[in-house]
Amino acid sequence: MLEILTTTNLSKTYGIGETKVEALKEVTFSVAKGEFVSIVGPSGSGKSTLLNMLGALDFPTSGNVFIDGRDIFTMNEEELSVFRRRNIGFIFQAYNLVPELNVEENITLPLLLDYKKPDQQYIDEIVDILGLADRKHHLPNQLSGGQQQRVAIGRALSARPAIILADEPTGNLDSKNSKDVINLLKLSVDRYNQTLIMITHNHNYASFADRVLNVEDGIVTELGGAVQ
Amino acid sequence: MKDYLALAPQYLAAHKKKTRLTILSIVISVALITGVFSMLDALLQFEKIQVIHDYGNYHIAVKDATDEEMQAISGRIDVKNTGRWKTLGEANINGMTCALGALDENFTENLNIEVIQGKYPTGQNEIMLEKWAAESIQLNVKVGDTVSIAVANGTRREFTVSGIYNDLGNMKAKGIPGVFLSMTDAELLPAKQNVYLIEFKSEADMIKARQQIQTSLNIPEDRIGRNDRLLAVIGQSDYKAAVGIYQIGGILFFIVLLAGVVMIYNTFNISVMERVRHFGLLRCIGASPVQIKKIVKREGLTITLKAIPFGVLLGMIITFVCCALLKFYNTSLFGDIQLFYISTIGIIAGIVIGFMTVFIASLLPAKKAAQVSPVNAVTGSNDIKVSKNKKQGLLTKMFPVEIALGVNNAIMKKKTLFWMSCSIAISIIMFMGFNVFVDFMHAGLKTNKPYTPDITLTSKQGISEELSARAAGIDGVKKVYGRMFGYVDATFDAARLSDAYKESMGGIETRADGLFIAPESSWLISYEENQLKWAKADLIAGELSEDKMNTQNGIIAVAGNIRNGITTETANLQPGDKVYLETSSGTKEFTVIGVLRTVPFADSKLNLTTFITTEKIFTELTGKSSYDALDIQLSGKNQEQTVAAIKGITDSSINFLDSRQKNAEIDQTFLTMAIFIYGFVAVIALISILNIISTMNTSVASKTKYLGVMQAVGMSRRQLNKMVLVEAITYGLTGCLAGCILGVILQKELIENLLTSFHIIWKLPVVQIVMILIFTIFITALSVISPLKRIKAKGISEVIGAL
Repeated sequence: MLEILTTTNLSKTYGIGETKVEALKEVTFSVAKGEFVSIVGPSGSGKSTLLNMLGALDFPTSGNVFIDGRDIFTMNEEELSVFRRRNIGFIFQAYNLVPELNVEENITLPLLLDYKKPDQQYIDEIVDILGLADRKHHLPNQLSGGQQQRVAIGRALSARPAIILADEPTGNLDSKNSKDVINLLKLSVDRYNQTLIMITHNHNYASFADRVLNVEDGIVTELGGAVQ
Repeated sequence: MKDYLALAPQYLAAHKKKTRLTILSIVISVALITGVFSMLDALLQFEKIQVIHDYGNYHIAVKDATDEEMQAISGRIDVKNTGRWKTLGEANINGMTCALGALDENFTENLNIEVIQGKYPTGQNEIMLEKWAAESIQLNVKVGDTVSIAVANGTRREFTVSGIYNDLGNMKAKGIPGVFLSMTDAELLPAKQNVYLIEFKSEADMIKARQQIQTSLNIPEDRIGRNDRLLAVIGQSDYKAAVGIYQIGGILFFIVLLAGVVMIYNTFNISVMERVRHFGLLRCIGASPVQIKKIVKREGLTITLKAIPFGVLLGMIITFVCCALLKFYNTSLFGDIQLFYISTIGIIAGIVIGFMTVFIASLLPAKKAAQVSPVNAVTGSNDIKVSKNKKQGLLTKMFPVEIALGVNNAIMKKKTLFWMSCSIAISIIMFMGFNVFVDFMHAGLKTNKPYTPDITLTSKQGISEELSARAAGIDGVKKVYGRMFGYVDATFDAARLSDAYKESMGGIETRADGLFIAPESSWLISYEENQLKWAKADLIAGELSEDKMNTQNGIIAVAGNIRNGITTETANLQPGDKVYLETSSGTKEFTVIGVLRTVPFADSKLNLTTFITTEKIFTELTGKSSYDALDIQLSGKNQEQTVAAIKGITDSSINFLDSRQKNAEIDQTFLTMAIFIYGFVAVIALISILNIISTMNTSVASKTKYLGVMQAVGMSRRQLNKMVLVEAITYGLTGCLAGCILGVILQKELIENLLTSFHIIWKLPVVQIVMILIFTIFITALSVISPLKRIKAKGISEVIGAL
């Protein structure tokens, strides 16, 4: 299978001496294209640190991350930001939409940042799938939490990135909205052959994934699912 | 922590950077208020000394006071000192023209007369003369020498020189020494002017005292003179021009106060808005809205306590710099003023207004904070309400997204935009308002203009071109330019004569064609190229074209007319008016092409009005071709040598007038005012710049998280820079626009309503506006650099918080 993401000996330590904390220890794993991987683990285990590294939002102490064959930490900040908007889609727990932009603009933002003309047909399709067709011109503060998170999913999908990183996308949502969001994520992975890496606390949602990675004290282990 | 209010200082301590920014802006505002008010206070102190030096230390004068009147006045409890001053007109001392006068000895100090050799004349046949005159070639006398003085009626008497006193710049420049007789001698001579000078005690209510004196002694208004400048400086003037200045001052200081409030409010507003989540959290754990309000107010208090001492100190330092400059420039005059001038008014104003504004400024944000819903804390949405404009997909279609976002960020938050713009606008309004004083200072205070000569040669026989050329050739002479003076009978439309003039002439006869029959001659002056160029500064209408004057019978009119030492207006000529001059070859028609505010010379005789023409036309009209006066400007070095050389080429028919001391004194008068006026403008410009920097800093700092999210979504650093820059410039531009429009209106109103008596005309300050625009945008752009750098130095994940 084609490997879209590979990490080798990824380590991150904070502080020095007595206050030294090893957040990630020699993490090595790969994700194939089209896979849905969920990451579980207790609070403070290093899940978020791992996801930050994968999205190049933070830098490791040692080790590499390859996305689509490129070593992301060898790029400079300018290249990285271009790489990020083309290849990585983020979904945050707190949605983090741009409050001044309407739904459609929020969704197309990564394309606009890339000075590209959005493929209107594709965008309309995403908007339809996410059930936001009648909210296209609403501002984020006119939407419910579930709707806002669906906009965030749309934003992550719009640039057809290599991978989508989701950090507890259902963390702020009730169970019905959570289920909707997970279903939509699963649907888009299947439909657009997207790769999704999702942190979750909910083992039910973890089971939607092809594979589940467990993080504990900075060590990543495979919990099951498809064999690597 | 004893009670919940201790949360405020703790929060501030935990967020040092943000707190420092807030404190900084309050320091700036307090410094502005303390600085401006202390400077005003110091200005008045310095200006009082300056005015006393220039115009004498008396408040009012009574003309031709009788003995009873003098007794009644000197007996008043609010009168400090009085003295008689008689001017006896011109006389001739050993062949040299001089001005005779007498002054009571007890009042000499008030009029800055200082005996430097010998003693004050008290006995019969004693006189005192100016030092320069005693040392001049014509007189060359010492204390104890005998001189002969011929008074106006022709009688000649012998006098003994009892004393020599300090040079008076004015007299020295005119070449006519002031000679003091004893009062006993003076009483025997007919006085040209006889005034009784009164100095009140400083705590007296002088306007009231004057009215009492006038009513109780039945003294009519025309016998009362006022030392207007001194009264104006000590705030005891009801003189129209002074009241105008007071009003302008009042308006401008009100704007300074307003600026302080707006700046502090803006900072507080931003600091509360960015902490919606923090307050939501407090609401979550049970804080009531009232408690939140109290916390915000407590925060304000804590910050104020820290900021005010620094602000006051900074304001005092600014004032100190101004005072130090003045003291350094003129140690003898301002020696008595302390170097560290501490203005109680300034400090009190700074403290009181600092506290009050923080209190007012924290009220609204406190209310806003109290309204924060607890939900905001849990959902983590700290979105500020934005207007429900759904159509704004437009911007992103028109501009690249980062620019659209920048503009959007600025204009979507209407309130933030309003206050940010206000804070910038008010700085600009302040700056433009205070610039009115600069105009006033240049036009209203008679200053040394580029044409001011150092040495003037005059001669009744006329000065030839040849002498002029020789003077120009002397080493150390910078410029030489001559003038011819003459009189012509001029007439024009009688409607142009002022009512005051018509009245003073006891009515004017008018001919059938609307022209009047001139009751007095008009003064005609010739200007050459240099003088025409310099006169542009005083042009209030039309143009100054040598060519038009030579070929199209153009002539220049002058608005001001000095009659008996007082500037008045006799005629109100406008460009295009026809003027008819009587010449030996009949009446000639001229057209007014320009109007000057004033000319730098005064005619000793009364004249109808003044006209200026070229040398060519002057000679054609009058037949005269030699100069009456030749002005010489010296270069800075070896002036004494040059002066000696000039004296060498002149003969006894030429008067040698040395204006250097007078010029230096005028410069000094101007500088005293200028240091403070420019000080005000500089302080305000500086404060405005700091204010813009601090607001932008705060505004960027409050968007840390937002900027992090944008980076995570793929915004590059360059795009980030552009976005923030565009937002900042949007604030800057709206502020500029509002500021310039309101500033121009303010300038126009101030000048047209309050400064008309100084002949200052309002013009659209294009240069100012362009400079302000460039500066604001430059400063705004500059001010976002450092906070952006700080944000970029952090990792994105750190900026967003936990992902």
